[in-house]
Amino acid sequence: MLKKLFFGGKIEQKVIGKIKKHIGILCSACETFRIALEKQDKNLISNVFELEREGDIVRREIVSDIFVGAFLPFLRPNICKFVEIVDNALDAVEDAAFEYLDLELDGEIRSDCIKIANINFKMCEILSIAFETLLTGEDLREKNLVIRIYEKKIDEIKHDLMRKLREKDIKNFWEGKIISDFITYLANVSDIIEDASDYLQIINVSIR
Amino acid sequence: MKVEEIMNTKIEFIEANATVYDAIEKMVDKRIRSLVVKPRDENDVYGVITVRDIVFRVLNKNLDPNKVKIEEIASKPLVCVDKDIDIEHVIRLMEKFNIARVFVCEKGNLLGVVALLDVMSGSLIKRVRGGCIA
Repeated sequence: MLKKLFFGGKIEQKVIGKIKKHIGILCSACETFRIALEKQDKNLISNVFELEREGDIVRREIVSDIFVGAFLPFLRPNICKFVEIVDNALDAVEDAAFEYLDLELDGEIRSDCIKIANINFKMCEILSIAFETLLTGEDLREKNLVIRIYEKKIDEIKHDLMRKLREKDIKNFWEGKIISDFITYLANVSDIIEDASDYLQIINVSIR
Repeated sequence: MKVEEIMNTKIEFIEANATVYDAIEKMVDKRIRSLVVKPRDENDVYGVITVRDIVFRVLNKNLDPNKVKIEEIASKPLVCVDKDIDIEHVIRLMEKFNIARVFVCEKGNLLGVVALLDVMSGSLIKRVRGGCIA
């Protein structure tokens, strides 16, 4: 019923399709980045940059479609905000990928970064499931909680990683800055996905 | 879902000849509910001491935690599982032995620990992921 009432129109269906594509691009970027870290293959980083650009294009299309008249007016700002948050997550993946180009990770630090990248990817999948659930009008609480569980895991790994980094010898200012920025961006992806998930819940509540 | 996906790889250890007070200090500082007890020698095995052991076996009996050694109240050996085992199996083990955590071991090495909270989170993740994945 909710689906028909709020998301049933032709133009709405078009936007929904694009939002799904946008989330799919975020999933692909996170997965590509995870593989790049696992295989230590920096050639894959260019794919992450391409996905971010593709995400920008889809975001612009979604926003312009919404301003053409998709969705009821009270829903538009929240949907635009959600799309912007997903795009911010894509930007954070791109920033982390950019820093990785100048970075050599080893040992436990590399293994922890792979763990974070892997959880980021899993969070994207849950976000995608949560979006599908929103369309059916079902409750999102469980999906939201799973995203928070994953986010907490990343927080734990990040704090551990910071402790390990403090014990590492840094040769110069830039080496220290690059690795610190890299971890900040990498861990920030999960925070942004959590924000996106919270926004889905806001949309869900607002259409009840 | 395999236990490897939900296990916690950060394990805190304590010496078998340390006092219960040392364990209390460590648990409070690190906000954890159990510590792995190191083997005394090569013939010994790992053990575990939990908040429950300390409260019921020491504090509740008005014993002095500074005078009781960890080895006196530690449980040995650890209940270990393989990293490829399913969560359902872990839940059955926990219920059967009435324990709140199992350890993930491989060739005598400790890889991680899975507590009830991890199992609960893991089950929820499995439930949610059981839906459609884009």
